[in-house]
Amino acid sequence: MHSLTDNALMLQVKSGDLDKLGLLYERHKKRLFGFFYNMNGNTSLSEDLVQNVFVRMLKYKHTFTGDGSFTAWMFKTARNVSYDHFKKDKVAKNRTEVSTMEYKLEDGHDIEKTITDKEEKTILERALQMLAPEKREILVLSKLKGMKFGEIAQILECSEGNAKVRAHRALKDLRAVFLQLDNK
Amino acid sequence: MEKSTIEITMISYLVGELDPTEKAEFEQFLKDHPEHASEFESLKDAWKQMDEVVIKEPSEQMDDRFFEMLHSEIRREKTTPNRLVKGLSAFWDFLWRPQPAYAILLVGIGLGMGYFLHMNKSMDQTKTVVVADGETEQVREQLVLTLLEQPSANKRLQGVNEVNKIEKVDKKVIEALLQTLNNDANVNVRLAAIEALVNYVENPLVRQGLIQAIVHQESPIVQITLADLMVALQEKKSIEPFKTLMRTKELNSSVKQKLENSIEQII
Repeated sequence: MHSLTDNALMLQVKSGDLDKLGLLYERHKKRLFGFFYNMNGNTSLSEDLVQNVFVRMLKYKHTFTGDGSFTAWMFKTARNVSYDHFKKDKVAKNRTEVSTMEYKLEDGHDIEKTITDKEEKTILERALQMLAPEKREILVLSKLKGMKFGEIAQILECSEGNAKVRAHRALKDLRAVFLQLDNK
Repeated sequence: MEKSTIEITMISYLVGELDPTEKAEFEQFLKDHPEHASEFESLKDAWKQMDEVVIKEPSEQMDDRFFEMLHSEIRREKTTPNRLVKGLSAFWDFLWRPQPAYAILLVGIGLGMGYFLHMNKSMDQTKTVVVADGETEQVREQLVLTLLEQPSANKRLQGVNEVNKIEKVDKKVIEALLQTLNNDANVNVRLAAIEALVNYVENPLVRQGLIQAIVHQESPIVQITLADLMVALQEKKSIEPFKTLMRTKELNSSVKQKLENSIEQII
């Protein structure tokens, strides 16, 4: 499909041809944005995180060997970026206010409130946001365009079977939450 | 079928990873197990619903920001070719700033001058040492001879002490010392002359001179010193001069006794 594969392009970036990162960005920006957006429900934050992924890819380009899948390497970076952001955010919030046990978004509103405020959100989206982050993550990844479970397994650093088992349980939970919300 | 296998197969079915045979087998399994069939149906609904999740498009600002970042990174990379070159060029620039440049120049000149001076010096050094040593010996011998002729006892004493600094004394100095031993008016100078001559007792001239000096001594302390020395050297030739000395009327009785004992020890 591509005259140059993602791996070949990233190896060129690694050897100093930074222009090629623009091509990789064009190819993957929507999937990355979709991943972040479905994970945190915040447009501007998701755009920031996409930017951070590419900055980090430049910074750690020397760690790319070209052996595995580029997509897996990129999404591993994306997960780290997301993890670091919420870790930092959590520390910052703990300094300023009494922490609650509820899952928080970066703007300080709890998920449920945010979702209710946005009328366009479907019940399913609300249900998705109410799932535990790791369950939401595997569902979001498995629904991304062109993503295979083989790659998801690489990203999550587990076996393909294990990734499917996790996806099955997450989907089951999503269904349960959805039904619960739908009946209210 | 195990629970986890069923879960895996359900997901594989939903994502379309089962081949027709596997698909048919699984559908058959669901027909045979209605409890799993209902579970699968609900999962299938949820999976379909997931497609309805709104996937927003990122804004154009995201693209602008990304390319701005990328271009600034490319510019930065171009202006800094690599760390080694950067480091060397920074060092080179540092060298060409006035103060370090002058400092390095001055140190260089200093080292260069030091090196050349030291090189010339070291080439001459061996010669100089040899020459200087020879010259010093000559000067010192001359000094000894001059000092021994001085009217002041102190000067003559200094002259005798100078002999101890000469490594190889020549005949002239030995004769001068023997003459001092025989003729000097001062007892201390004569004693010092004996001490100086003791260093060269291996020289026959010195031995002979010391033996001959015995009869010329009038001072008891010098006579006793010579007697002790002859005993130490076991010099038999000294017996006769001591006997001659003993026959002298003016000889101190203590010295006479000492000389008798010494002669006995030598024999």
